[in-house]
Amino acid sequence: MNVRRWYIPIAIVWTVLVPVLATAAPVPLLDRLPDPLATHWGPAGRPDDASPYWLDALILVLMWAAIAAVPLYRLIRGDALRRRHDRGWMCAVLAGGGVFTLALQAMTILANLDRAHWRDAAPIGIGTLLAVFGAAALAGAAAWALARIGPDEEEPATERPPRPLRPLRSGERAVWVSSATAGWAVATGAGLLVLAVLLGVVIPAAPEYRITLAASTGVSALVLLALSGVRVQVTARGLAVAFGPLRWPRRRIPLDRIDRAFVQQRWPFDVGGWGYRVRPGGSTVMIRGGECLVVRYGSGRELAVSVDDAERGAALLNSLVAERDNDRS
Amino acid sequence: MLLTLDLNDPRPLHEQIAEAVRRAIALGDVRPGDRLPPARDLAAALGVNANTALRALRELRDEGVLEFRRGRGVSVLRVPEPREVLRDRVVALLEEAERYGYGVDEVVDIVRELAEAKEGR
Repeated sequence: MNVRRWYIPIAIVWTVLVPVLATAAPVPLLDRLPDPLATHWGPAGRPDDASPYWLDALILVLMWAAIAAVPLYRLIRGDALRRRHDRGWMCAVLAGGGVFTLALQAMTILANLDRAHWRDAAPIGIGTLLAVFGAAALAGAAAWALARIGPDEEEPATERPPRPLRPLRSGERAVWVSSATAGWAVATGAGLLVLAVLLGVVIPAAPEYRITLAASTGVSALVLLALSGVRVQVTARGLAVAFGPLRWPRRRIPLDRIDRAFVQQRWPFDVGGWGYRVRPGGSTVMIRGGECLVVRYGSGRELAVSVDDAERGAALLNSLVAERDNDRS
Repeated sequence: MLLTLDLNDPRPLHEQIAEAVRRAIALGDVRPGDRLPPARDLAAALGVNANTALRALRELRDEGVLEFRRGRGVSVLRVPEPREVLRDRVVALLEEAERYGYGVDEVVDIVRELAEAKEGR
């Protein structure tokens, strides 16, 4: 019996069970709850906001959907199932997130139970919060340990050696120039930049407050813009990767360090998000999911860059590397 | 986009770059509507002055191959005729032949010889 076949049904049942339980279980208690019920507590532990039950339930379901979407998708797609490390993390997020959702709802319901008005809801102290987070962490750890059951397979060979270029004639010099852009990051970054200016000039507030607000928004806008795109070059000197519209920061990998190049499909949730992601064994410059140009160093480490037309870039790097090795021998 | 330049080519650099870009488009590396890398990046990769690369792109714009749009950069408007691309290469060939003291007829002879040898194989 293939133990992996159990993971997908369990994950699906759990993903459905959590919101059903969280929204349906309190229904018999509705006549013992105030309407609206307290759903938010201030820093002092006093209830400070309320909403009708349906809204509380809807927010909970949306929160759960946001938590569960990626792990469930990756488990069903199968890539996270094959590797013990990824499987453990995905199961931990599903279990911990689910218990967190349920515990949050239980906390809300218990605090409101048998109160006449939401303002009378029980205060929520640090102890209760610790219990909610603790339960979630425990569930996550347990699922992580359980998910170690089963095989640990190597990542399937998604790396694709590029079709070789036609051989270059002597005296011919070839270069490859390409780029990748994340449109959403450009738009958001530009929007934040405008917002930073508005915050600095328009809002009626104390100057030091305005400056702090404008500066922090401006800095996040610049960071986002810097990571909104890459420009990649392959020349006889090697590989050069430059970020953003200013082409700074820039990273050069001399041809000497490169062992070979290939193309691989990588996605933000495979590498841990967007931007410059470092993982054991190599790093990835993730601008957008999909085709990446990957170079493997002589040391065995890898650098991947998400970039359009990666195949031709990899092919050129390989032919430059071959030329270099021919010259040496 | 992959560009190849011939270091033995005696023609001015901007003409060679224009030819390389034209060839890349004709071969389908970049299709109509695709955006080209900025002249500045092409120049950096090729190790030439940015103005030289820009001059090459302007030539292609004047031929109707490229389109310059404010804020959107340079994009491909149409695929050049293969004949235009071949013509470039023949011009380069004739210029190189001239440097060795060969005229058009000698080059045509070589071409014919090679073509016959290829057919005979």
